[in-house]
Amino acid sequence: MMPDHWGYVFAAYCLTAAAVLGYWRHLVRRRRALDARLRRVKAVVPGKAAIR
Amino acid sequence: MSARATRILGGLALLALATGLAAGFGYAPREAIQGNVQRIMYIHVPAVLTAYLAFGLVLVGSIGALATGRMGWDRLAGAAAELGVLFTAVTIVSGSIWGKPTWGTWWTWDARLTSTAVLFLVYAGYLLLRAMVDEPERRARIAAVVGIVGAANIPIVHFSVKWWRALHQPSTILGPESSPIAGPIAAALFVNWVAFTLLFLYLLLRRVELARLEDAWVPETRR
Amino acid sequence: MIAYARRTWIVLWKDLLVERRSKESLNALLFFALLLLFLFQFALGPDRERLHAALPGLLWLGFVLAGLLGLGRSFVAERDNDCWDGLRLTPGDKSAIYLGKLAANLVVMGAVEVVILALFGLFYNVDLVSVLGPLAVVLVLGTLGLATVGTLFAALTAGVRARELLFPVLLLPVQVPVLLATVSATQIILAGQPLGDAAAWLRLLAGADLVYLVIGLLTFEFVLDA
Repeated sequence: MMPDHWGYVFAAYCLTAAAVLGYWRHLVRRRRALDARLRRVKAVVPGKAAIR
Repeated sequence: MSARATRILGGLALLALATGLAAGFGYAPREAIQGNVQRIMYIHVPAVLTAYLAFGLVLVGSIGALATGRMGWDRLAGAAAELGVLFTAVTIVSGSIWGKPTWGTWWTWDARLTSTAVLFLVYAGYLLLRAMVDEPERRARIAAVVGIVGAANIPIVHFSVKWWRALHQPSTILGPESSPIAGPIAAALFVNWVAFTLLFLYLLLRRVELARLEDAWVPETRR
Repeated sequence: MIAYARRTWIVLWKDLLVERRSKESLNALLFFALLLLFLFQFALGPDRERLHAALPGLLWLGFVLAGLLGLGRSFVAERDNDCWDGLRLTPGDKSAIYLGKLAANLVVMGAVEVVILALFGLFYNVDLVSVLGPLAVVLVLGTLGLATVGTLFAALTAGVRARELLFPVLLLPVQVPVLLATVSATQIILAGQPLGDAAAWLRLLAGADLVYLVIGLLTFEFVLDA
């Protein structure tokens, strides 16, 4: 009968969560940066920067 | 897909993941031979299945991009590849962490880990290629060809590695899931697989949307 | 059909002619093969048993490394000399260009591999003559696997940033099954077993070669337009 290796289980779940969360945050950050650029251009040139 | 629908999908994914967690730790019993370390499989197996789904979509996107010339297909391929690489990494790392207490080693050249590692290398290279080409149409065509070769290669890799392993080591009794798979374990695997798929679809939609906005946006800044 | 074959032949003939006149690729590759020999010996040490055990792997490692250098240069001449548009504007089926380039690469790779084989037999004291026939079969199938994808990826990376890095990075993972199959088959043959024992591997190689070739033929025009 194998001893329980909860440390390993915990590590696996934490690393997975970190990876997925990290990627999601990366997407959110990029989207926010894009929106910020769009807002700046719209302020200067109203109506010109249209997202098709 | 509307922003609201995407948010709902994200919420569903979160719910499913929570359910999967509960199933993996509450509902599923302690495995007879491996002990609680087996619970890592509720990440490892769904992750590899999701990765294959992702790479299948890369193939679809690649063929679509070449056949129609429309950029939407390429955006699908690029986004799916990113997620495929992410889930493949999760597969490998979780498999490695599982392997240390079970097989005594962080890495072993068993058929599945090796095949998955090769898959990772192929699509990591694909992403690298995409990063090296700036013009969207050019990038789409070049990446599509590599995407098709990579996908066509998957079964070839699978068989070659399987036969290679059969030569060098008999199959271990301790597989990632012992057979026959007990009912509650199978159920927990299923729930987690659904959860991962929902998570994948949510991230995919967000990534594709981001790519669409960036593609539409970049030409504007050049004025 | 005749026009297609003719176009293929023209590309093949042009590349071989350029190679024969300048000899830059072939000479460098042959010298590289010689260097590899020394490198492998020094890396593995004086133990003859260890070297002989590793021989199938070393052989194909040598082929792959030489292939990376040789195949990577397939389209450099066209790219550097502004002839790319000339390729793009060729009338008719562009896949003839791919076939011609592939054929030229096969000839060059074949020449290099024969030399590597001879050097291996000489320096590592291995009897390759008795198994030359079966070995040749593995060589042909393996080189096809290497060259089909290599020629396509060479065209693909020709105009891309960091192509000298990108080409190996893209090609090597795809070559894993070919490498596994050829090394396993070579091991079987060098052990003196009949070719039939390696039948499964050879079938895998043949199948893979066919898949790569078809993909190359179908997608080459898209690569040119890129």
